[in-house]
Amino acid sequence: MPSEPTTLLQGTSDPLILKSLATSEMHGLGIPRRIQQITGGTFVVEPGSLFPALHRMEDQRWTSSFWGDSENHRRAKYCRLTKAGRRQRAVESKRWARISVAIAQALESS
Amino acid sequence: MPLVAKARSFLRNLFFTQRVDEDLDQEVRSHLQLLTEENVRAGMPRKEAERAARMELGGAEQVKEQVREKRLGNGLHAVMVDCRFGLRQLRKNPGFTLTVVLTLALSVGANTAIFSLVNALLLKSLPYPHPERMGTIYTRIVGSSAASDERHNVNGEQWELLRDNVPALISAVSSGGTSGVNLKAGSQVEYVHRGRVSAHYFDVLGIQPVLGRNFSEDEDRPHGPNAVILSYTLWRNVFRADPGILGQSILIRSEPYTVVAMLPQGATTPLNADVYTPLRPSRSGEGGGTNFHAITRLRDGATWQAADAEINRAWLSRPHPYELGEFPGAKLSYYSVSLQKGQTDSLRPQVLALMIAAGFILLIACANLAGLTLVRMLRRTSEVATRLALGASSWQIQRQFWIENLLLALLGGAVSIGVGYLALNELFLLLPEHFLPVGRVPLDGHVMAFTLAVSVLTSVLFGMLPALEVRKVDLRSSMTDRSGVRAGSVRVRQALIAGEVALTVVLLAGSGLLIRSLIHLETLPPGFNPQGVLVVKASLDDVRYHDPAAFRALLDKSTAAMRQIPGVQNAAVGLSLPYERVLNDWITLSDGKETGTQGGTDELYVTPGYFDTLQMPVLAGRVFTDADSPNAQHVAVVNQSFARKFYAGSNPVGRYINNDILIVGEVADVPIASGLHPVAPIQTEQTMYIPAAQMEGPSLALLHVWFQPDWVVRTAGPVGGLTAEMQRALAKADPNLPASGFYSMKDLLARTLTTQRMEVALLGAMAALALLLSAVGIFALVANMVAQRTREIGIRMALGSTVGQTTVEIGRTGAGASCVGLFVGLVLCAGALRVMRSVLYGIGVYDAPTLSFVVLSLSFVTLLATTLPTLRIAKIDPANTLREE
Repeated sequence: MPSEPTTLLQGTSDPLILKSLATSEMHGLGIPRRIQQITGGTFVVEPGSLFPALHRMEDQRWTSSFWGDSENHRRAKYCRLTKAGRRQRAVESKRWARISVAIAQALESS
Repeated sequence: MPLVAKARSFLRNLFFTQRVDEDLDQEVRSHLQLLTEENVRAGMPRKEAERAARMELGGAEQVKEQVREKRLGNGLHAVMVDCRFGLRQLRKNPGFTLTVVLTLALSVGANTAIFSLVNALLLKSLPYPHPERMGTIYTRIVGSSAASDERHNVNGEQWELLRDNVPALISAVSSGGTSGVNLKAGSQVEYVHRGRVSAHYFDVLGIQPVLGRNFSEDEDRPHGPNAVILSYTLWRNVFRADPGILGQSILIRSEPYTVVAMLPQGATTPLNADVYTPLRPSRSGEGGGTNFHAITRLRDGATWQAADAEINRAWLSRPHPYELGEFPGAKLSYYSVSLQKGQTDSLRPQVLALMIAAGFILLIACANLAGLTLVRMLRRTSEVATRLALGASSWQIQRQFWIENLLLALLGGAVSIGVGYLALNELFLLLPEHFLPVGRVPLDGHVMAFTLAVSVLTSVLFGMLPALEVRKVDLRSSMTDRSGVRAGSVRVRQALIAGEVALTVVLLAGSGLLIRSLIHLETLPPGFNPQGVLVVKASLDDVRYHDPAAFRALLDKSTAAMRQIPGVQNAAVGLSLPYERVLNDWITLSDGKETGTQGGTDELYVTPGYFDTLQMPVLAGRVFTDADSPNAQHVAVVNQSFARKFYAGSNPVGRYINNDILIVGEVADVPIASGLHPVAPIQTEQTMYIPAAQMEGPSLALLHVWFQPDWVVRTAGPVGGLTAEMQRALAKADPNLPASGFYSMKDLLARTLTTQRMEVALLGAMAALALLLSAVGIFALVANMVAQRTREIGIRMALGSTVGQTTVEIGRTGAGASCVGLFVGLVLCAGALRVMRSVLYGIGVYDAPTLSFVVLSLSFVTLLATTLPTLRIAKIDPANTLREE
């Protein structure tokens, strides 16, 4: 049962995008759909934040892009993780684990 | 992330903007298509699907803009976008751009030209190795009315003490300047500039000959062997750079000199001579007076303090320090000064005055540009308001504005380098050779950096006011109000105009005084007829003419040959001519109640035809004739000032001076360049004329080192080919005597007044520029008033105001500002012009004609600049203007 979509928290897009690309390369529409899927519909990544994030990651060489055919034989821009991107994914995952534990603790403590 | 990769993205984003953008565009479009298809697959009709997709994307342009903002190098990219926008703005307003760039080009160009002089004279190191270790010696006298602090010229005694008792320095002396001599190599005769230098002169300068060696101490001794060192230019031009000339003998002053060295290419010396011969300083003759220039170089390990102590010890031990001659109570000391300062000290005040004048020009230009950009900014208020409304930050607006200013500054700066280059070339056409103590005045890196800095500074100065104005833009009122007139801004502009007019007044008055001064000097009553006279000069610094008989024969033959030239009425020779520098001497009166009276007088030898040729009025007695031969009674002719000075104005004819010289005549005064008591560049003073035939050998030899005599001919009208004929006549008397130059009396006057003419030309040009800029400023203010208040004018005229009334009303803004400026300027003049006293001749600092000229010219320019733009008022049709609203 999908829950209400939530706008992304500041700084959450990077780990989610990196995670969504972990298993396979994906085109621009695939990524938000994948995120929707893996977060059970909790997070919706708007194009307005997706595109800048993708370009920033590419500038930082976490991802590389290429033009390919979509499942419906449309031209689409695909992203895939680079070696640096995989390393970054590990870093981001750890960071988030720490943050979520900390926040959970903080909220429960009262 | 690796730096290289980052840099690559950065550069790609910066320089392949179009490709990056196309890529982004495609990406967004493909995303849209994918979304649409997804929707179609979910069962939506095509149209609906497209709409939903667009909604989900949320505005393609916004998404793209968000990506752009996040990109690497976005800041710089934004600046580039602003630059492009700025350039487009400037292109769209060619009138504004042209005015600003021209203003900058002229004002910054003037500064570039003047600064390149400052740079070459005061800042650039001398072109010698370790210039900081080179010096010259100054004398400081304190504790008397004769207090002074100036470069010290040394005599023979001081030179010996300096050479032998100051081990901290390598020292050398040279003649004060160069003298023209004739050089003969094979059949070729050349007129060249000779500098006389002591041994070690080139060691002090650090110049190694390209071939040969420096002068030996033996060659520098009186009666030592004759040796000569050639400059590279002379070696190349006369000897075609033939190394075989080394050790050969060439004739200088008709004496054989052995070539011992050639200087390397580009080597300059403070003398800048063509040939160098040994000075042979001694305590007698030339060395009896302070005729030598000293230069020094600090030896390794020595300090200037030690050197100064040694100099003071050596020189103060002299039994009779001449410096204190008439002031025994004063305290005397010597100290070393860098050669750079010593060489340029005398030009420093003039150069700095010019720099200040150039600074004025810059301020005036800034005032104008501030006014112009302010108006432009106000006109763009609605544009700014729109951008603010669309979400631009105040910083973005400011950035855009400053980038436009900077672009203008750079554009103007670039053009101004060209203007500066041209101005500098013009300046050099004015300057006689060897006027400046430096070989070249280059537009080098320093000058470029200065120009850039000045341009940027200018843009900051003129941009400040409008930038403040932009911050005041109020969104609501500016969106609705389109007139954009703000009373405050007009007042600010009026203040700017008043300020620039005030500076213009100072420059105008200053240059006016110089012009009046020059006119005074150029229109001094000549006392002879300067029209129809041609002069040829030649050097007689030649051993053949140390013999008075040979000298007389040369004068007789050459003047006779010149009289034969068709059209020539008369010809004569004199040691000097009116307007020229003249020899001075010390005489004793020998009879009457003035017996024993001594005094200085100018003195020159002349041939009998001299007074006739120049048409100098004879006031009493007679002038010379051929009968005044070497063995006859020694005679003299004196001028009116002489009679006034020594005989209280009574008739000097029949009186004796220096025991046996009889005064036989009195002639009118002529203006000369005094060596005696210079109070002005040219003046009249006591002068004594001696027949050339009665000159003696030793004095001829000495005089002709310092002076080149003049052959002068008078013609009834213009004679074609006269110079060639005169040269031929000279060659008839002596084929080895090259002319050093041909002059009219006007040329001689101009030569003497070079400094004054330079000052007038430079300051005059700047004053004219200032006036032009002020006129442009006033014009722009009034024109802008007319444009901004068209609507108001229309209403006024609809209500019955006449064109005349409206014109006055509008023109008042400009004229009022100009009047205030004129008044402030005159007040400034009262204080500032006093510093000019020392360079003014024949007029006072508060010179009524000059001030009236300033007031009149400014009033005229103001009238013109306010009237021209108001002419448009007559064309304003009230009906049209009102309908426009």
